[in-house]
Amino acid sequence: MTGPMFGPRDGLRSLVLVWAALAFFVVAAAPVRPALAQVQQTLPSDAITPVEEYARQVEQLKKSYPDLAKRIEDSAKTIDEVTDVDKARKEIEDLREIVGNMLGAVSDNGTVSQLGAKALAHARGKLRTLEHEQRFKQEERQFLVDLWRKLITETEHATDDLDTARKEFAELLRTLQTREDFIDELMQVRRAAEAIRVIRELTKEIRDASDKLKSLINGIKPPGV
Amino acid sequence: MVGAVWRFAGASFAALALSACNFESDTGFIEIKTVPISLATVPPLYLGSEKLDTLKKGNAVLRQRVGTARLQIEAGNGSLAPLCDLVVKKNRITTVTISVVERPPRCQCRNTAGPDRAQSRTCIS
Repeated sequence: MTGPMFGPRDGLRSLVLVWAALAFFVVAAAPVRPALAQVQQTLPSDAITPVEEYARQVEQLKKSYPDLAKRIEDSAKTIDEVTDVDKARKEIEDLREIVGNMLGAVSDNGTVSQLGAKALAHARGKLRTLEHEQRFKQEERQFLVDLWRKLITETEHATDDLDTARKEFAELLRTLQTREDFIDELMQVRRAAEAIRVIRELTKEIRDASDKLKSLINGIKPPGV
Repeated sequence: MVGAVWRFAGASFAALALSACNFESDTGFIEIKTVPISLATVPPLYLGSEKLDTLKKGNAVLRQRVGTARLQIEAGNGSLAPLCDLVVKKNRITTVTISVVERPPRCQCRNTAGPDRAQSRTCIS
């Protein structure tokens, strides 16, 4: 009964793949920071805030889930081994909670995504302004423009990786809910099987009673026979 | 007296914090896809009364409070036309694809509450 439910290793593989995607996204997003430090030396601090905030949020996201991969892998292993349907369901619920938290952070209306869009818009706006800036010498202006372009490219990469992570988490959540639904179906089958067993027992009892009644009736002999 | 006020303030703060936690935890997700992906043809979409940002590459995953949300589309005269209802459950994802080539655009639920997928206007997770 538990075979098809917990057997597939591809579920576990997909969990680990998702973690890998997340790790990639976090690592790829990390270079925003050094570029940021570079730009910070040359630009007023208020101009950098959205980009800096984005980098900080990505960093926080990374720190919030240091053992996520291990937790996902442990839970997936437990689900593979467990034979108790209720326990399996609880494990999947816990996993959904973890994945839900991650997806919440990277969803389109989540904090990190919105900060990313804001950071990108700010950086692009800044670049447009700098391209027409007359205060600086040509080489100074070019230097600043190059820095902002680099920053925009890195922020775009981080945003793309965020998109990938979002898709992966959404897919994982779907896999988990399909599994949970499958467990629910199995529980219904189990309940139905239990109902059949009860009906069979009842039928047998009725048949026994009927047999007893028949033999009793057969045993009754009219007086004189 | 001052102690009682502080205790009351503390209890209120704790209650507020708790309700905030509940609000945060009781959320699920909605995935909206549009086909075809071309952005120009999609009129603005609304979830309840909230206008959605343009879908990036024809796809958006949104965090949403648990409950039923109505997906609407802006009609030519600026009024909102309901497309379908999306049932959101905690930490679950409800997926809907909007076919914008059809007139009027139509929801295609990944999972529906009823047996008739083509006719149902309620998408579930």
